[in-house]
Amino acid sequence: MGFFDNQPDIQHIPEGRIEGIAKVTGSGKYAAEYKVNNQCYGVLVGSSVAAGTIKSISLDDAKQVAGVIDILTHQHKPFVPGFADEAKIKEAHFGLPIFYTDKIYFKGQPIAMVIAETLEEATYAASLVSADYTIDKANVDFDKSHPGIAASNTGKERGSLDSWSNVPYVTEAEYTIQNEVHNPMEMHATIAQWTSDDKLKLYDKNQGVNNVQRTFAKLWNIPTGNIEVISEFVGGGFGSGLRVWPHTFATIMAARQVKRPVKLMLTRPQMFLLVGYRPASWQKIKIGADSNGQFAGIWHIAKHSTSVYENFEDGITRITRMVYKFSNLKTESAIVPLNLSAPTWMRGPGDCTGAFAVECAIDELSYQLKQDPVELRLKNLAIEKDPENGKTWSTNFLNEGIQKGATMINWKNRQPVPGQETDGDWKIGYGMAVGMWGAGRGKAGASIKMQRDGTITVRTAMTDIGTGTGTAMQNIAHDFTGISKNNIKVELGNSNLPPAPSQGGSTGLSSISGAVVATCEALKQKLAGYASLQNDVYKDALAKDILLSDTGISYKANFISYASLWEKNNLDLVEAEASSGPGEERQKFSFCSSAAHFCRVRVHSKTGKVKIDKMVCVVDGGKIVNEKAAANQVSGAAAGGIGMALMEEQPVDTRYGSLVGNDLAGYHFAVNADSPIVEVAFINKPDVNINPTGSKGLGEVGIIGSAAAIANAIYNATGKRLRNLPITPDKILQA
Amino acid sequence: MEKQTYSRRFFLTTSSLLATFAFIPESVKAFYSNVKKLVIRPKEELRFLVTINKKKYRINADSRTTLLDLVREQLQLTGTKKGCDHGQCGACTVHVDGQRVLSCLTLAAMVQDKNVTTIEGLADGDKLHPMQQAFIECDGFQCGYCTPGQIMSAVACVNEGHTGSVEEIKEFMSGNLCRCGAYNGIVESIQKVAR
Repeated sequence: MGFFDNQPDIQHIPEGRIEGIAKVTGSGKYAAEYKVNNQCYGVLVGSSVAAGTIKSISLDDAKQVAGVIDILTHQHKPFVPGFADEAKIKEAHFGLPIFYTDKIYFKGQPIAMVIAETLEEATYAASLVSADYTIDKANVDFDKSHPGIAASNTGKERGSLDSWSNVPYVTEAEYTIQNEVHNPMEMHATIAQWTSDDKLKLYDKNQGVNNVQRTFAKLWNIPTGNIEVISEFVGGGFGSGLRVWPHTFATIMAARQVKRPVKLMLTRPQMFLLVGYRPASWQKIKIGADSNGQFAGIWHIAKHSTSVYENFEDGITRITRMVYKFSNLKTESAIVPLNLSAPTWMRGPGDCTGAFAVECAIDELSYQLKQDPVELRLKNLAIEKDPENGKTWSTNFLNEGIQKGATMINWKNRQPVPGQETDGDWKIGYGMAVGMWGAGRGKAGASIKMQRDGTITVRTAMTDIGTGTGTAMQNIAHDFTGISKNNIKVELGNSNLPPAPSQGGSTGLSSISGAVVATCEALKQKLAGYASLQNDVYKDALAKDILLSDTGISYKANFISYASLWEKNNLDLVEAEASSGPGEERQKFSFCSSAAHFCRVRVHSKTGKVKIDKMVCVVDGGKIVNEKAAANQVSGAAAGGIGMALMEEQPVDTRYGSLVGNDLAGYHFAVNADSPIVEVAFINKPDVNINPTGSKGLGEVGIIGSAAAIANAIYNATGKRLRNLPITPDKILQA
Repeated sequence: MEKQTYSRRFFLTTSSLLATFAFIPESVKAFYSNVKKLVIRPKEELRFLVTINKKKYRINADSRTTLLDLVREQLQLTGTKKGCDHGQCGACTVHVDGQRVLSCLTLAAMVQDKNVTTIEGLADGDKLHPMQQAFIECDGFQCGYCTPGQIMSAVACVNEGHTGSVEEIKEFMSGNLCRCGAYNGIVESIQKVAR
């Protein structure tokens, strides 16, 4: 019997987060904020060319700066076993072999790291480092390069292109998106400390401490357990912390070299260069329908940029294969290597890009068909079965989401013909789109420590990047034990705690919730074991029938206080540990989270300014564990969608290979005034197959499709179809 | 403060001379490096008094140190966050003599004899400031990194009287970026306190 059977009426009262006080008082420690004795500072120096080979590096001036301790370069660095030779470097799959190559692959690639007593000294000295290069021809031009690279099939073709060549309604168009950058508010930072020759302590910003631990254990050839990674507070990630980046490695090398703890915090401009971004993309969609609006087929070609030193595949066409019934479907993709740093997963990776094109294409088709886009989608959703593999969806409530969203936005007020509704100089329009994301789950571990006073601490290595993982763990532990929330603490983000997967891809809660439930049960069984020495009835007690409180354990009205349990068994501390992961259900079902996005926009006919009047997002994230935190996730994702649709782009200077305006004055994402009060609703029905709490991840679906909804609303307002993100005022005026 | 050895004028003359040297033979260029050596100046330490969170500090700081780096790196008051170091994000917002100020654009020496309040000084002992309480209740954050800056700005926003409408709050809080997009909760928190 699971959660839903025995506690059907539990209401999760929205309340503050468990780490709330630490965050509002500033006492929570993020990576760069730990006091480590004798620590010095590192600052990275980037190459001034986009491709070539370093001929020489001039360090003389920098070394004159008082306080400079040492300067790492490819000619002066500690020995790293994992980078011992070319073969090892290749085998390491680390990406950029920082300080182990004289090759330059992109402008701004770190060529030196100045280590000094103070940040000011290190920063000043870094400005004095210069280098001579043999310069090679660099290519950073995605628009010019992608036509030269052929796309190939991704996934199996369904039906054939020929079979729908004669359908009456077909739209065919190209869609582009510029580079977008994660830019979590906390800049990536690391404090590296070698506590002995083969023991390393890292305070690091990342989304998965075990991943960091494993990566460096391999590179330094030391046991995994010798590396402790501490990431208790993580100032946002959005994917930028899902892999281990060269700057962290450089900091560890620096600490090794100077035999002192070293702290490095990237500068904001370096955040655009060294921790990934959503790659620029080009897509072409051809979609057709019969006269009833039944989709006949789709042909989706997608290309995006990558680096020349490392391939990254975003998976743009994945979403095309999962949301709707297409009996004829062909998806193709290609990656385009450029002299830019390596891109990586960014919130709603792949799907966010793909959904923009597909959801706009469907909107275009709806106007051709003269059918309501809501009706058109409902008609074509693959609501029962995953079209990719024919498995039944464990749960898929996208249809309900669409209907609910349409009601919330007052969709009935939408004019079917574009450009009809005006308010002075403003044109008003409605748009919608949907998003979907495979609901994953990984194997995760947790432990519980119970103190003499009956308070418990639930622990896991998983990080909380702001999603509310810690609070959810507290909520779940409360529901499954009965102990009051005030008596439940949470510890996370430390590699010494039970291992857990990285927090990403909307799998965090889905993975950890099972582990917390299993650990609660293990704790109950352990306590029941002690209780059985005092009362025989406990011998046959099952975890689900045991209730804990703040003062003791009870089973079938047999209460034993913790005090007596502790005393009789001579206990000091009770610990339980368990892990939990996906199982056979994955063979039987497909799992998805979904979102329906609706918005009403106004577009100024003289300035081209777009204002989002109203934004609605209805999400199927299974059972909602903490509604307040979940709604916050979704409205935040909507703000991300607004940025994607209207302002986010990192331009590249194709002459010199430089990024242009790579700071927060040049790169705009949605500020408070850019975003309306986002209205969020949940389907809130448990997916009983996915994990013991029935909750599915929802961090990604909040953004997947939202940019398309805005673009579609702009069309409805103006009759202008903008297929190139971001839709800035100049594009609207020129269209 | 000791008189500076090399003035700004010296810099300007030197650099314009250097530009001319670019067209001059190698032998003359040798002089260039000597001149350049001169401009690598030793650090200048400044001593001054400042009151931070009602506590007097005797500061000994590099003249280049910003108020942000002073509190974070020297005084371990790490509640004030570095989000861009260029006055573009608001994460480092503190109050100087009651006004909201970006500590990354403020040299430490500029707060000599002034009263600085950081997020650590907002609560009254264990009793949270109403704005801090509201941020918890309204879930006005996710990752928490921009939060201290948001709260310092939010307190100022209320004091400045810019809370007449949702739009006004949004406008006057738009110097504080939140990449998590917790704007719903931030606005709600401010409305709650302003009431």
